[in-house]
Amino acid sequence: MSGVAGDGTLAPSDFRVAAVAFAERWKSAVSALPPWSWIPRPTHPWLSNEVDGYLALENACLLGSSEEKSVGCCGGSEEPNCSGDDEPVDDATLVQSSRDDVHYYDFHIIYDSSYRVPVLYFRAYCGDGRTLLLNEFEGDLPADSSEALVKSKWTFITQEEHPYLNRPWYKLHPCGTSECIKLLFQSDASIRTTSGAAELYLLSWFSVVGRLVGLGIPYEMMKCENNT
Amino acid sequence: MASDSPNSDRKIVVHLRATGDAPILKQAKFKISGAEKFAKVIDFLCRQLHRETLFVYVNSAFSPNPDELVNDLYENFGFDGKLVVNYACSMAWG
Repeated sequence: MSGVAGDGTLAPSDFRVAAVAFAERWKSAVSALPPWSWIPRPTHPWLSNEVDGYLALENACLLGSSEEKSVGCCGGSEEPNCSGDDEPVDDATLVQSSRDDVHYYDFHIIYDSSYRVPVLYFRAYCGDGRTLLLNEFEGDLPADSSEALVKSKWTFITQEEHPYLNRPWYKLHPCGTSECIKLLFQSDASIRTTSGAAELYLLSWFSVVGRLVGLGIPYEMMKCENNT
Repeated sequence: MASDSPNSDRKIVVHLRATGDAPILKQAKFKISGAEKFAKVIDFLCRQLHRETLFVYVNSAFSPNPDELVNDLYENFGFDGKLVVNYACSMAWG
């Protein structure tokens, strides 16, 4: 029986459904960032609750300028949206700065079998590929999220070995996720058991968690196709 | 916003709903211009409740970006002539 459990968790069998729906909607609604891709992983027949892949968004570019933070798609083929100029003009134009503080981010959404919820892993690095430590990229995070992360009972940042890549990544700890989702889904009791609940799960979850790292969900992503 | 439709000036009724262990406001309904950003609702809530951060979300299990316009949120998530904004305390235990 699919749907979101009353305890705010997501069944492993629903994670892929949720991931595909999330990635599709993201592609339609978010043009300034790269799309999410499903990365398949082999599963082991002797492990239960395993999921056969995860979502990845890589090479997202955050400018570390002190004046303005904008998020853009660097390294991809962005169409210039200003004709008549020699160079493509883009909201996320790289600015030459003495600090060389262009930061790149990889985000992975990975299902956690113990907590039965998705977890956001992320890695920051600079142009030469060097991985950044938290205190080096903390300034990229939205102003209020550092405080929220320190004081929140929903989540906090920890550094752990990536479940598949055997390298240290940062992650937003999942211990508060189910509680957070429970509240979110209580706002509309009918949706929890509908067939769209699994699809909704990642959208709802990311609207909270993503924003802590500077990625929000535009409201357009929440609209159903048949919503009038 | 060069629209001369009445939408740009209209006031939206916002109904603030306490959830989880959040304190209930004495005055839970108020009007705000649709042209304001959602951030203003969040700030108002934080000030009223003397909290620095709150977990704020609308119906349809969604926590909007503070930059979204109240008008847009009402259009998409409002019903019965109002926008219900739920809030819960996100502060750590203790």
